[in-house]
Amino acid sequence: MRVTVLIRNILHAALFYEIWDAMKVTFKHMFHKPITFQYPREQRVLPDTHRGALALLRYDDHQERCVGCDLCEAACPSRCIKVISSEDAARPLQRFASEFYIDITKCVFCGYCVEACPVNALAMTKMYEFSTHDKRTLLFDKKRLYEIGERHLDDAKKYLYAHNQEQNVEESREYRYYFPQSVLKPTQSQPKHLG
Amino acid sequence: MGLKPATNPDVEAVAIELSIDGKTVTAKDGVSLYDVISSTGKIIPAMCYHYTFDPFGSCGMCLVMQEGKKAPIRSCTAKAAAGMVIRTEGDDLFQARKKAVEKHLSVHPLDCPVCDADGHCELQDMAFQHGVTNLANAKQKFIPEDTRSPVLDFNMNRCIACAECINVCKDVLMIDALQFMKKGGFNQVVPKGDLALSCEFCGDCLAVCPVGAITNKFSKYLYKPWQMKKTTTTCNYCGDGCQMHLETKDAEVVRVTSPLSWKNKWGDRADTAKGHGGLCVRGRFGFEYIDSAARLKQPLLRKGNQLVEVPWLEAMHQVVEQFSEIRRKHGPDSIAGLITARCTNEELYLFQKLMRTGFRTNQFDSSARYGHLNFVHASRHALGIGRSPNDWEDLTRAKAIVLIGSNLTETNPLTAVRIKEALRVYQAQVVVIDSAITNMAKLASHPYLISPGTEGLVIDGLVKATLELGLIDEETIGKHPKAFEALKAAVAHVSLEQVAAKTGMSVEALKTTAAIFAEAPRSIILCAEGIVRQSDGYQNVLKLMDLAWITGKLGQPGCGVNTVTEEPNEQGAVDMGVAPEFLPGQASFNDQVARDRFAKAWDVTLPAAGSGANLVEILKRCKSGQIRALYVIGENPLATLPASMEVRAALDRLELLVVQDPFLTETARMAHAVLPACTSAEKDGTFTNLEGRVLRVREALDPVGESLPDWHIMTALANALGCQWEYESSNDIQAEIMKLLPGYYNLGQPRKVVPTVDRYLSNGYAGEVAARYRAPVASDAKVQRPYGLLMGQILYHSGKMSTEAPGLIKIAPNTGRLRMNPEDMKRLAVSEGGKVRLTSDRGSLQVAVQPDQSVAPQTCFFPEHFNEPPVKDLMSVQVDPTTGVPSFKRIGVTIEKA
Repeated sequence: MRVTVLIRNILHAALFYEIWDAMKVTFKHMFHKPITFQYPREQRVLPDTHRGALALLRYDDHQERCVGCDLCEAACPSRCIKVISSEDAARPLQRFASEFYIDITKCVFCGYCVEACPVNALAMTKMYEFSTHDKRTLLFDKKRLYEIGERHLDDAKKYLYAHNQEQNVEESREYRYYFPQSVLKPTQSQPKHLG
Repeated sequence: MGLKPATNPDVEAVAIELSIDGKTVTAKDGVSLYDVISSTGKIIPAMCYHYTFDPFGSCGMCLVMQEGKKAPIRSCTAKAAAGMVIRTEGDDLFQARKKAVEKHLSVHPLDCPVCDADGHCELQDMAFQHGVTNLANAKQKFIPEDTRSPVLDFNMNRCIACAECINVCKDVLMIDALQFMKKGGFNQVVPKGDLALSCEFCGDCLAVCPVGAITNKFSKYLYKPWQMKKTTTTCNYCGDGCQMHLETKDAEVVRVTSPLSWKNKWGDRADTAKGHGGLCVRGRFGFEYIDSAARLKQPLLRKGNQLVEVPWLEAMHQVVEQFSEIRRKHGPDSIAGLITARCTNEELYLFQKLMRTGFRTNQFDSSARYGHLNFVHASRHALGIGRSPNDWEDLTRAKAIVLIGSNLTETNPLTAVRIKEALRVYQAQVVVIDSAITNMAKLASHPYLISPGTEGLVIDGLVKATLELGLIDEETIGKHPKAFEALKAAVAHVSLEQVAAKTGMSVEALKTTAAIFAEAPRSIILCAEGIVRQSDGYQNVLKLMDLAWITGKLGQPGCGVNTVTEEPNEQGAVDMGVAPEFLPGQASFNDQVARDRFAKAWDVTLPAAGSGANLVEILKRCKSGQIRALYVIGENPLATLPASMEVRAALDRLELLVVQDPFLTETARMAHAVLPACTSAEKDGTFTNLEGRVLRVREALDPVGESLPDWHIMTALANALGCQWEYESSNDIQAEIMKLLPGYYNLGQPRKVVPTVDRYLSNGYAGEVAARYRAPVASDAKVQRPYGLLMGQILYHSGKMSTEAPGLIKIAPNTGRLRMNPEDMKRLAVSEGGKVRLTSDRGSLQVAVQPDQSVAPQTCFFPEHFNEPPVKDLMSVQVDPTTGVPSFKRIGVTIEKA
């Protein structure tokens, strides 16, 4: 027993076994395909459920989906959303968000706002590149959010699908609100005693 | 409307016992079972119930099980009876209630995200409470939205037909502007006759709507209830002192809500005697003046011919420098001040302190001088108390109310609701004597129309009729036989027939009124602008006191002579001593004891006793050049007083006119310096309402622009003038008032006052009473000028301030037209919009006319809020010799077609 151990130790010492053993990892990596991405020249493929920049979406007929219900603001744990809604001047009785702000520097990308949205107007995209020289540009306004939505429409739809919120165009129509028309004229003739 | 016995003070209901959830409960017979259950503290869901009106029973939520019945019963419409055994909880009841919610939801659009009521919706709460997640056969109504009204939108898709809006409008407010109509297969709430809504626009229907079927146009789609900050404050429009919730978002006032709401639906019906918690159109829709773009945001100084914006420091330096120079050169009595009664008590107190200790002058006045002081002086003279003796509860529970010279619905809408409740619930007899066909006259049991300006004569007639019919209270007059004899002698020359001929009120009517007033156990007289804002106002109030005295009503609980105030804090202005004749606490300025007390407290020598000037005198002294500097806070005498007062000439002569106002008023345009002040929504303080209750005003938003609260500006001014004031908030001022007037802030409860009439009746009464009932000097001017031109308040406006609120202007714009009775228009052969020439002793004016059914024949009316065309300049001014109150709201005119 003792002799075998002794011979092995002598052999290891004579043949520099430890060095070869250590070099094994080095040689393995020499022939291995590198893991490091050459970002930004190379981009990683992200899963559909990835929570990136928030986007606002439109219906197929280019109507804004958002009705300004403020539920995203209520659901937001970091309070980075601000919605100001009003009546659409062009389409009376229709509610819409006249202003919509997301302070992306405060956003924790939890996705609660998307879950809260009753019309699936909000979605998350795979966009995560926010670096900028001016921090003020990170307060996304309504215009910017719709731009993101247009640029990353497929990602946004995939996100909604992956989170079981919306599967196809037909389903989005189910959630859509159809507002009532207004009566502006009297529905009956005036009674005689008032005429 | 039937009255539930439990709430009628005159009916003793039988006490019964019933068992609720195994506990024995004592209740009054005939009361709704729902009320009995809620009085034990158990809350059963109910969507169509509200304590202010009788149960309607449409929602089917308040189900309970009664022993012996197979199916659940609706507890709201069931009457409590002896021996009932009731179960209010259990799985079967929960399932039954859940079914009811499902039934409502199945025809309710699930548009919560776009609905304004989202988060403040009873149907939502009920669905959540009962766990409704699936609806078997839901259907949509697709009813178009009624957006014709200027303030409310009716979205009948969301209506659950609970009828709360209809009930509150019909039963509580007696306006009756809404109805059910079957249209498109659904029962819908529509304005009467399915026309565009045209009513008093109080918005109480909006407040009680448990869903989003009735929505507010002003805040439609803007914010959700949880986004807004809610501040409970006091309304700044009239003396009713209604509490309201100002809902703000950052620096924007979004809407006003009332304590009356579907959320507070449980209460004792008898509690509505203290007010039902609603608001009127001004309170609810007139909030836009607060964040109006017209608000002054920077101090202005006159440079050359223009007012230019300057920083605060520069403006204050200039103002202080000029004030001190004028005082140094011409003495303290070259300075005077005017303040509006829309300021808080603290500011009013500080104003008189500033004038008396800072400027050392007693020349200042408040807008209580326009009428309320007539009442205060008369009441102090006769009873020793300078305010209305009765509160809303007394008014509601009165058995007889004589409303004389008061268009109450237009001036104080919520006091009018109290009288409506007296009429409806307590079956009071209400006599309305007015020269217009007022809303109260339409509801009253005894409406009488009189010729304009004969209110005083009518009172003569009432006193005479009381004496003639022997309706006097022997016990009361027995104490003062001498005074009674003097009164009898004074009215000896009055003949009822003559009074009837002159006033247009028949002898029979006079006698009926006297009898109603004298015979009721609790009778109240309410006199307002038709008495106190007219000539002889002081004497007429004293005559009403005589009437109350001889019938034994003075000092009796629930009886008295009352008035209403037009501005929110007129009573406070008097109580805080903002009148040359009063020190704080209504102590006389010439009373040596009080003078010593205040001089010691303020550590100054007060201006000499007997010195000082009131509004009319100040303007006179301005014109004569005696007063060289005027400090005006919130007042606008140029737009208020008629041209014959020559206000412009008086202000033109001033060396320094400082105006402190939230808006650039007509007077401010003439000023040398304009200081931007806050509205009451931006400051803390208190108002004293017409009942004498001290009510809190709270800061709802930060001051607009660089404007500051009035007390802040006054403190800065006083310190610059050499006073050592250390007020850092209005609370500090309040603490000082509390020390000087112990018990004034009586936890919002009016101090109970005991009138003492004996001193008045035994000293000098006999001497003065004869002059009071002298026959009016017959003037032949009446013959030449057959029409009475009246100026007054309309429901949708208050003073000049409400014209800064776009919402109220949208509801009631300045039509620029004279309102006339259609009969008169027919006689003159003018049609609507046709021009007439209006001529009074003071001038002549061409004006278009519009028909108005509420204007009596032989009179015409123009709202006092508007000066375009300048109808007010046709008025002449009579100044009351005792109280110095200028009256300028009525004149004889001729009208001819132009």
